[in-house]
Amino acid sequence: MELLIKNGFVFDPTNGVKGEKMDIAVSDGKIVEKVNERKAKKIDASGMIVMPGGVDIHCHIAGSEVNTGRLLRPEDHFKDFERKTSTTRSGVGYSIPSTFTTGYRYARMGYTTIMNPSMPPLEAKHTHEELSDTPMVDKASYPLLGDWWFVLEYLKDGKIEECARYIAWIMSSTKGYAIKIVNPGGLEAWGFGHNVSSIDDQVPCFCITPREIIRGLCKVNKLLNLPHTIHVHTNNLGKPGNYQTALETMKCVEDLYDGNKPAIHITHCQFSAFKGDDWASLQSGAEEIANYVNTHSHVTLDMGQVIFTDTTTMTADGPFQYTLYELSGNKWVNHDVETETSAGIVPFRYRRKRYVHAVQWSIGLELALLIKDPWKIFMTTDHPNGGPFTSYPKIIAWFMSKKAREAALKRINPRARSRSLLPTIDRELNFYDIAVVTRAGQAKALGLINKGHLGVGADADIAIYNVNPEKTDPSRKYKLVRRAFKRAAYTVKDGKIVVKDGEVLKHVEGATMWLDVQSLEPAKITDDVKRRFREYWTVEYENYPVTEDYLEVSNPIPIKACV
Amino acid sequence: MPVVKAVTCPVCGSLCDDIELTIQEGKVVKVKNGCAMCESKFLGYNGEHRILKPLIRKNGEFVKTSVKEAVKRAAEILAEANYPVLYGWSSTNCEATRVGIELAEEVGGVIDNTSVICHGPSILSVQDVGIPSCTLGQIRHRADLVIYWGSDPWSAHPRHIERYTAFSQGRFENSAWRGYLTKIKASQVRKKIESAVRRVFLKEAPSIPPLIRREPPPSIFREGRKLVIIDVRRTRSAQMADYFIQVEPNRDYELLQAFRALIRDEELEVDQVAGVPVEYLEEVADVMIRCNFGVLFFGVGLTMSSGKLRNIDAALSLIRDLNMRTKFVIMPMRGHFNVTGANTVSTWQTGYPYAVDFSLGYPRYNPGETSVVDVLLRKESDAALVIASDPVANFPRKAVEHLVKNPLIVIDPHMNATAQMADVVFPSAFVGIEACGTAYRMDHVPLPLKKVVEPPRGVLTDEEILRRILSEVKKMRKKRQVEVAA
Amino acid sequence: MIKLTPAKEFQFPINAECINPDVLSGKTREEIEKLKIWEGNKPKKIGELFKVEENRTENPLEKEAAITIHGNVSKARRIGADMKNGEIVILGDVGMHLGEEMKGGKITVHGNVDSWAGSMMKNGTIEIHGNAGNYLGAPYRGCSEGMHGGKIIVNGNVGTEAGAHMKKGIIKIYGSAGQFVGFRMCDGTIYIQKDAEPRAGACMTSGKIVIGGFLESVLPSFTIDSIKGKVKIEENEVAEGPFYLFLGDRVEHGDGKLYVFKTKNPHLSHYEKYL
Repeated sequence: MELLIKNGFVFDPTNGVKGEKMDIAVSDGKIVEKVNERKAKKIDASGMIVMPGGVDIHCHIAGSEVNTGRLLRPEDHFKDFERKTSTTRSGVGYSIPSTFTTGYRYARMGYTTIMNPSMPPLEAKHTHEELSDTPMVDKASYPLLGDWWFVLEYLKDGKIEECARYIAWIMSSTKGYAIKIVNPGGLEAWGFGHNVSSIDDQVPCFCITPREIIRGLCKVNKLLNLPHTIHVHTNNLGKPGNYQTALETMKCVEDLYDGNKPAIHITHCQFSAFKGDDWASLQSGAEEIANYVNTHSHVTLDMGQVIFTDTTTMTADGPFQYTLYELSGNKWVNHDVETETSAGIVPFRYRRKRYVHAVQWSIGLELALLIKDPWKIFMTTDHPNGGPFTSYPKIIAWFMSKKAREAALKRINPRARSRSLLPTIDRELNFYDIAVVTRAGQAKALGLINKGHLGVGADADIAIYNVNPEKTDPSRKYKLVRRAFKRAAYTVKDGKIVVKDGEVLKHVEGATMWLDVQSLEPAKITDDVKRRFREYWTVEYENYPVTEDYLEVSNPIPIKACV
Repeated sequence: MPVVKAVTCPVCGSLCDDIELTIQEGKVVKVKNGCAMCESKFLGYNGEHRILKPLIRKNGEFVKTSVKEAVKRAAEILAEANYPVLYGWSSTNCEATRVGIELAEEVGGVIDNTSVICHGPSILSVQDVGIPSCTLGQIRHRADLVIYWGSDPWSAHPRHIERYTAFSQGRFENSAWRGYLTKIKASQVRKKIESAVRRVFLKEAPSIPPLIRREPPPSIFREGRKLVIIDVRRTRSAQMADYFIQVEPNRDYELLQAFRALIRDEELEVDQVAGVPVEYLEEVADVMIRCNFGVLFFGVGLTMSSGKLRNIDAALSLIRDLNMRTKFVIMPMRGHFNVTGANTVSTWQTGYPYAVDFSLGYPRYNPGETSVVDVLLRKESDAALVIASDPVANFPRKAVEHLVKNPLIVIDPHMNATAQMADVVFPSAFVGIEACGTAYRMDHVPLPLKKVVEPPRGVLTDEEILRRILSEVKKMRKKRQVEVAA
Repeated sequence: MIKLTPAKEFQFPINAECINPDVLSGKTREEIEKLKIWEGNKPKKIGELFKVEENRTENPLEKEAAITIHGNVSKARRIGADMKNGEIVILGDVGMHLGEEMKGGKITVHGNVDSWAGSMMKNGTIEIHGNAGNYLGAPYRGCSEGMHGGKIIVNGNVGTEAGAHMKKGIIKIYGSAGQFVGFRMCDGTIYIQKDAEPRAGACMTSGKIVIGGFLESVLPSFTIDSIKGKVKIEENEVAEGPFYLFLGDRVEHGDGKLYVFKTKNPHLSHYEKYL
């Protein structure tokens, strides 16, 4: 099928297109040079913005912890439901939507690629079963490897190459996409209810420090030529004063930067940018982090913006979630996964008038605005931790309009307002920058060659928003911008129009991308390894990997490793 | 003879996946590593009650028919219904449940799984309190205190203790098996001597040991794993325990709240709770606080005792509170091998784990209102589909009376009590033996089920039967829409 | 003034949230007959399920009411949900979620009511002359926002967990109450004139429960405080004692007050030694 999108203002940062009026041609699900204008289906995009489909580098949409969150919160769903229609399945929201609804809601905002950032390898089948039921978007998942016993043991012995071979094996067997590290060492310690408090603490019983884990896996990442960097949720997350830990984490891999590709991604950085000694003296550490990132090229970040709403926090960081339970007194789920990781869930309401929450809100935006290069920081809410992904249009409005920020500032806690850096920041992002922080930059950081741009050969994942950049001043008309990004005029997925005027026209399945890492010498699964398997896990080695038939649409990406 | 290794056992919620089967001429002839339940399932599943052809009731009698006819009849029943119920799902694979939910959505019915009569109350309390839990391996590696409350793993989950808890060998904790053997031997010798002494010298009849052991056994002072059993009767598992607490029936809630108060160092103003002296409870509470990693497994004995969901509420709160003092986790002992999977699939597709009502075109959930037993007790349904379950044998009598009045579709490998009362019966392949798929262990670990032998000729899988019914329903509804439009 | 009479005996659940004075007021009979209502999984119109009439009665029971329902509507759910004004009078039994999240107005039932009546209500009054089911005034599953205000009066008995998670307001039960009355309540008052099943006030953190009849046992996590001569129920209403006053629930660091009538509960006298 051929498609021609005519006369839109195209923003395609990867290819340097900055709002020029041009046509985009699509054939067989790919962007092409041109199509037969008479035969092709046409979309009149005049007066509208055309961008690549949105890419989300970090949002929890599938897997055991997300699903336990759903189970935990009927009260989150019962007023936010979607009826079955002739094209779509029914479902519920709000902060942890059911799988079909997740896909539809992303598509309505013009998003087409989603990265699910935490997958315990033992429960990877569950994640993939859910992803297969998440329509409309392409997706991938990051296995949690920072506290995997095999990793800890090989890194302790300095066996980087051996470790790399096992990571190559686990990437393919869990159908994963990147190395996710959460509170390295802390999760293993949480097995007995403890934690680590700096990157140089010893992990109990394993004779290794978080620093060694991060550096080791960073080296492994390089050896394997993985498209994304290591994806790090820092130690001490959510604790006052933790911006130091975030800085140390970034610094600890400074020397591993090859001048070419970043070495580390710090995720939901807002939660790791707290200055102060305790909650009462909490302040923003955004400036320090921004200063560091502005002078270093080996790091990318995503925001983890907080939205004032009722949401559900869920991370693999068990000890952090326990702290959050103690702070809030809300219901609490903990789910430790043998030899691998942990997880926690706590419902949480961010309130404007609470000092800490308002400071958190400010930190996210400060980070995004103080870091000068939009290719280094990406828009996320760490869905659903900072707020549901459906709040993205709000954040876009805050990015583009100082007036919008001021309107929000007026309503927050006065002490937080008086300490916020936002009033001193005049920067307003333009549509081009928005295209970077919501798609092009994320795709680049993820090493997704065919996503996040509209060059010839790219996947025909396109979002069209009904806002005219020549006539609309987003700084003043931010509400209009917010509306436009909330309901895409069109979303095109693999060359098919799937959303029109914010309504889903067609239910399509997206592909699950995974890395087929081919190491020069594959990991040896000897009898000894199988024995260790039986000792470490309570499942048989044969039943551990995810077979390809768990993926509704499988999209393996072959990677040639150096080991 | 071909041997299939690493087979997952489709019997209980422990989902042991190390079974080795020997296959000969399309039959399982030998089972290795399995418990008695596992062996009898794999060796005896193909019994005399097996159905091989779809059946339709005509003039009160079953008539053999084709799959196509049966599908058509089933689809008619469901498509015309005003409030159909679709029940079962815990002994089939997740793939079938996925189709089942779509079918329920399409026909505007209530879909519910067997949690409604087992661990439904537990889920309701999890929704109020949360649940600190983990996977079973975590317990194997770390737990030095294992409590079973209202559950008898020795009988219902035979390999649970050996594979995952007290008798398993972990990285940080050793198996308590050897200690147990020594203890048993010592106590047997002691008992023999005592009874001999009594018979010979005192001329007494052998006496039955007292039910509650009030003195802590010496093993409490040793290092290593400890096992505590709390139940209304002295179960087989209780005989291995370091501590056994016999709770008065229906007094579990009081006992749990007492424990909660004790671990907060509160003084109780009563001498005994649920028939157990407070000093004894203080001691057990002390053991709970002092452990490095404790776990509480609870069974239907707790969920079905008076207070139901609130017993679990208290148990969850107890464990949550214990985390202030040490590391403690809690887990329900799920019965059917894939009841966890049925909850899991339902949750990701609809947001709710069971008792989902699609009658308004979107998922609604409120056990008590939308749960199948209550719907039947209120006589609201007008059609039913039952899959991989036997509600006629398990439901309250009044609910069964209404169920069998409905046009009833049954999908099951066996001619069970429910199938006897059905209007349409589909024979299906045994999941985990004749059909592959996915099941979830009680701790939410997904495991693949294997197809080790072929099903009888013409017998389809649950998933396939449901798919055919679904597509027939869709066809009928489309046709009717066209008719209405015309 | 609208009178609704069921046109038949219902078998399937009726989702009747449109039976609400705020929705019906200002509408003609014809308009009301066309309102959408669900019967089982089929969308219907009110006119198909109910006989709709203008009501001009002098019966004092229903004279003031905006809506009166004559007959058994025990399958009809969510009647008066979210209502803000006006009055509904029901002469017959009524189904679940009556007056759910009600914000004002009044509902009177001359019959029995199923579970979740007055669930999460904010204000207004519900008066039930028969019995009420479980979860009277309690919140939806997983939610801790119980009754936030208003008043529920039940002349008969109630099921389990009446007033769970209650935050404010008053529930008066002139019959007996099932288990877990006032479960996890945070504030407000629950008065039970007759007996209560065990576990009253479990996990309460504050508020007041008064039991005028027999209570088999007090939870071990409660502590006795004193003996009171009388207890105030609401303005102008006092229950005459003597009452044992227990405080709890200590497992939740609560200081809720549980009053138990002394005379009918001699088996609790052993607590007196702690006074």
